[in-house]
Amino acid sequence: MTVEAVAVPGGRGGFGLAWRRLRRNPAAIISAAILIAILLICFPLAPLFVDLACHHGPNDQNIQGYIHQGGHRIPVVGLDGTPVGPGLRSCYMLGADANGRDLAVRILYGGRISLFVGITSALLCVFLALILGLVGGYRGGFVDSVIGRLLDLIWSFPVYLLAVALATTLAVGGLSVGPLHVSSSSLAIPIVVIAVVFVPYVARPIRGQVLALRRMEFVEAAVATGAGPVRIMLRELLPNIASITLVMLTLIVANNILVEAALSFLGVGVPVLTPSWGNIIEQGYSSIVTAPALTVAPGIAIMVTVVALNVLGDALRDALDPHARIRIR
Amino acid sequence: MRRAALAVVLAAGLVAGGCGGSGSGSGGSSGPPAAPVNGGTLRAGIPDNPDYLDPGLSYTNEGWEILEATNNGLLTFKKAAGGEGAQIVPDIATAMPAVTDGGKTYTFHVRPNVMFSPPVSRAVKPSDVKFSIERLFRIDSGGLSFFTGIEGANAYAKSRKGGISGIVANDAKGTITFHLTQPDGTFLDYMATPFAFVLPAGTPSKDISTLPQWRIATGPYRVSSYTPKQQLVITRNPNFHQWTPDSPNGHLNEIDVQIGVTPEQSVNEIADGQLDWYFEAVPPDRLTELRARYPDQVHLFTRNNTTYFVMNERRAPFTKLAVRQAVNYAIDRNALVKIFGGQGTPTENIVPPGFGSAYKPHHLYPHDIAKARQLIQQAGVEGANVTVWGHNTDPTPKAVQYVAGVLNQIGLHATVKTEDESVYWPTISTQKGDPQIAFNDWNEDYPEAQDWFDVLLNGEHIVNVGNNNVSNTNIPAYNHMIDRAKRMPLGPARNAIWAKLDELYMKNDAGWAPFMNRQWPKFVSPHLHGLVFNGTYFELFPSMWLSQ
Amino acid sequence: MVGLVIVLFAISVLVFVIFNVIPGGDPALRLAGRHPTQENIRQIRKDWGFDRPLYVQYGDMMERLFIKRDLISYQDQTPVLPTIERGIPRTLALAVGAAVIWLVTGVLIGVLSAIHQGRFLDRILTVLALAGVSIPIFWLGAVLLYLLTFRYHSWAVFSWVPPGGYVPFATSPVDWAEHLILPWIVLAVVSIGFYARVVRASMLEVMNADYVRTARAKGLSARRVLTRHTLRTCLIPVVTLFGLDFGAAVGGTVILIEPIFGIEGVGQYAQESVAHLDLPPLMALTLYGAFFVVIANTIVDVAYVWLDPRTRIE
Repeated sequence: MTVEAVAVPGGRGGFGLAWRRLRRNPAAIISAAILIAILLICFPLAPLFVDLACHHGPNDQNIQGYIHQGGHRIPVVGLDGTPVGPGLRSCYMLGADANGRDLAVRILYGGRISLFVGITSALLCVFLALILGLVGGYRGGFVDSVIGRLLDLIWSFPVYLLAVALATTLAVGGLSVGPLHVSSSSLAIPIVVIAVVFVPYVARPIRGQVLALRRMEFVEAAVATGAGPVRIMLRELLPNIASITLVMLTLIVANNILVEAALSFLGVGVPVLTPSWGNIIEQGYSSIVTAPALTVAPGIAIMVTVVALNVLGDALRDALDPHARIRIR
Repeated sequence: MRRAALAVVLAAGLVAGGCGGSGSGSGGSSGPPAAPVNGGTLRAGIPDNPDYLDPGLSYTNEGWEILEATNNGLLTFKKAAGGEGAQIVPDIATAMPAVTDGGKTYTFHVRPNVMFSPPVSRAVKPSDVKFSIERLFRIDSGGLSFFTGIEGANAYAKSRKGGISGIVANDAKGTITFHLTQPDGTFLDYMATPFAFVLPAGTPSKDISTLPQWRIATGPYRVSSYTPKQQLVITRNPNFHQWTPDSPNGHLNEIDVQIGVTPEQSVNEIADGQLDWYFEAVPPDRLTELRARYPDQVHLFTRNNTTYFVMNERRAPFTKLAVRQAVNYAIDRNALVKIFGGQGTPTENIVPPGFGSAYKPHHLYPHDIAKARQLIQQAGVEGANVTVWGHNTDPTPKAVQYVAGVLNQIGLHATVKTEDESVYWPTISTQKGDPQIAFNDWNEDYPEAQDWFDVLLNGEHIVNVGNNNVSNTNIPAYNHMIDRAKRMPLGPARNAIWAKLDELYMKNDAGWAPFMNRQWPKFVSPHLHGLVFNGTYFELFPSMWLSQ
Repeated sequence: MVGLVIVLFAISVLVFVIFNVIPGGDPALRLAGRHPTQENIRQIRKDWGFDRPLYVQYGDMMERLFIKRDLISYQDQTPVLPTIERGIPRTLALAVGAAVIWLVTGVLIGVLSAIHQGRFLDRILTVLALAGVSIPIFWLGAVLLYLLTFRYHSWAVFSWVPPGGYVPFATSPVDWAEHLILPWIVLAVVSIGFYARVVRASMLEVMNADYVRTARAKGLSARRVLTRHTLRTCLIPVVTLFGLDFGAAVGGTVILIEPIFGIEGVGQYAQESVAHLDLPPLMALTLYGAFFVVIANTIVDVAYVWLDPRTRIE
């Protein structure tokens, strides 16, 4: 689906107004707070938790270990391979996984990776989409047509099949392009794959916006004063598509976190030794019956983060253009 | 080695007393099981098509399980469990063969009235046996290597003309004689595998799995219909009559196999009473629950298996013996057994326990992280990059992560790589793709230690593609010992050599880090009895029966 | 039409190249099993034509796929097209059923939100709608399946929920529906949010539009204004959005949900083929998926022009 907001170009004053509207929206405040909390917990607070509370990291395996609780000695992993479940304790608060690793710690560190992959791939995607959308929308003609065909091609390829095909190829042997060498277990692979697959989704509304703006007087004026195309794109067009870009960015981060989880579920997401919310689910799914926490907990983490992002993005859109006409193309 | 076509193999549980056990009574009442009842239809499930229904081609557990019930060869493994199931007894042959000429000539007498099923409907002749073996060469059978020791086989493989000179079939006298190029005690084992099952002369030289007019049976059952991805029906062979106690009549009338039942589905359907039996083992995450809720319906079978991590001696840092030994000291075998759901017994041996005197347990590598670390330091490979490989089928990825974690603990720098099983095995068996250290397991093709040593550790069999000696172990003195043992007739003298080699390889080569002999748990309907698990043919359909 | 063919051609070449580049995906090795001799492998390469140049193999695959229709999978040597044909009705059953649910619910929620704009109900429905869209679909399916068929299966209200699988409609309509209800709900939940938001925004736009205000000024009741004048215009973006989404769902999202429920439609076949790196079914499925997406896009473009009276005037 594509959704575009056609904004009335209002320059920088519009942002101040938007900010005030945003501040008055309780849903937006709450989601922003949740997101900030998540970022704080996963990044600076996680190692503190490890050092002070439970002394083992996300990859520390403890299959033969024991937990001391209430005078009892509970094995971290039972003789039949069932890990201990959630309990009120600082270590293994959410239980352990089949390798004896602490699930709560893994979710914290996994959050780092999922957020990193989501945000970086979103930035990359939006960056590429901006370039293609600006160039295509402004130049029009043959260039636009070629760009349009390329985007159509990528978009027609069933999303997950394309992502899996690319990720699998790259992951098997890594990638060597000239001086650039990417190992097969690098995070760059899911990041690039997710970014590329969704470029058409973001580029279309941007291009539509650019097309609409191009015909407006202030652009004609700039052309008349002899400004070159790059200057026009950067100085005149870019600020005016900033609002739609920002909205799309938040929505794409949300989308990409979900896509990372899906790719990990299909086996081609973040490589296995580095925890991410997606691959924790994938590893826990096979034992959902004996250790449901392994599947449920990271999924809830994803859900909370993505809801907050979506609500924020929705509120952003409302704030930036409360009377926007939504046209579906 | 055979594998399950979709390996959802999972290990056994804590409770002892599951050794090749047979089914107990139905859930409610206790008491000894009733006598077998004839009749009934077994509702079975399988996750995907069996690899082949053609005895010349099938090389998986599922295929062999079916073929055991429908076809026969000159010899068979005794249709029993455990060590007894490794004994070789005559089937279509009237007796064990006469072995002459220093062990190079085997002469069999073919039973006169073993009938092929309709539409062929005639007695099996020695020429059919010869035809079936020659056919293996025409269809690029995976079992070819078992029969290349027959005189003229290699020439036939190239020319495909004129038959194999070393097989002499005399229909008038009812005999068939095999001339081998060298003495080979294992020849009897080969002749009991499904590759040697007999098909009528004239069977086309291509896969007959989906050709009903050529799926000819000699056993109590036959595959009467097969729709790939949907259903497979096994019914009685009207032309069968029992000819020895070793060739049972079978109790069931029919076996309906639904294709495409996932492991999870199978558990739910068997629990609900909609399914009686499933080809694959219990999914790991359900085993604990099932053993608690349906104790009489979970059976743990011992199979001849070694599960291990194999180290490629041609790739640093595993070129050094000390490093390989360090790995053996570093892994806690009990922890790995836990990862596999406790469904196995820890081991350091190459040979599995079911091989009689060929198995002499040794304990060369007690769990000792400190010692492992020391060995790594002394070898000067601290910080070396290592990628631990495994396939994606649970719980192997967890085992691989465990080993990577352990390697990190002892001073290496380990990462993990997993692949789908269907590409994993071909990958690790090519020299190009052969990784530094990889998960591996080996299940018997036939119940003899040669199937381990000669295939997996004989340096003379290292190839570039399709390499089973993944560790690239090549110790000429040991190669000679293997070659010598192969020629000997089966028995204690031969087994003694195998036991010695087990210790020698683990002490002086350590190309493997064996950790477990994996068991095979099955969950079945409470009405199903007579479950006998044979190490080669797996569960024997002819011994199963349904109560009501 | 020419565009469609070009796109499909480009995609087929892309898929072919990608999957021939992967090391370890060598189909000859896989077909040869675990004890191959060099001779076996050589023979297989010859029999299957893997020793011919890539473009010849590509041409042969296309021929087998479209003309001879006897394309065979590398994984288990079974014919690809019958499996796909068997899977299509299952995938459609899943997608269409879910689509009905998400359309009806989405429109309902959107209308309600718009009518009560800014008030509590609107805010709650907004968050709920967005929550649905924020859940990983495979996770939702897995967790619900676990809860309803295992953890709380003994509760009377859940005891009928089957643990997965598919029953054809012809065999038993009741069983068919029972097996599909949970997948329908899961697929719908993650799609309702978009529709609710779009309908809401569209209704707001229309409700504030001149011609509606005129109608109200003329004295028409709120309800009449709503149903007659605004609803129809609101549905335009819904229809267009639906076309694209349905195409994307059938062509793509089903790959995540079918394996969880064991429905064995084309989505599950795709997931298995991807896991096994099995090129022939992947080629067929990718082209099938792309075809769906492109056709859906085209239909939507045409329908949009036809439905929106304003564009017709322009």
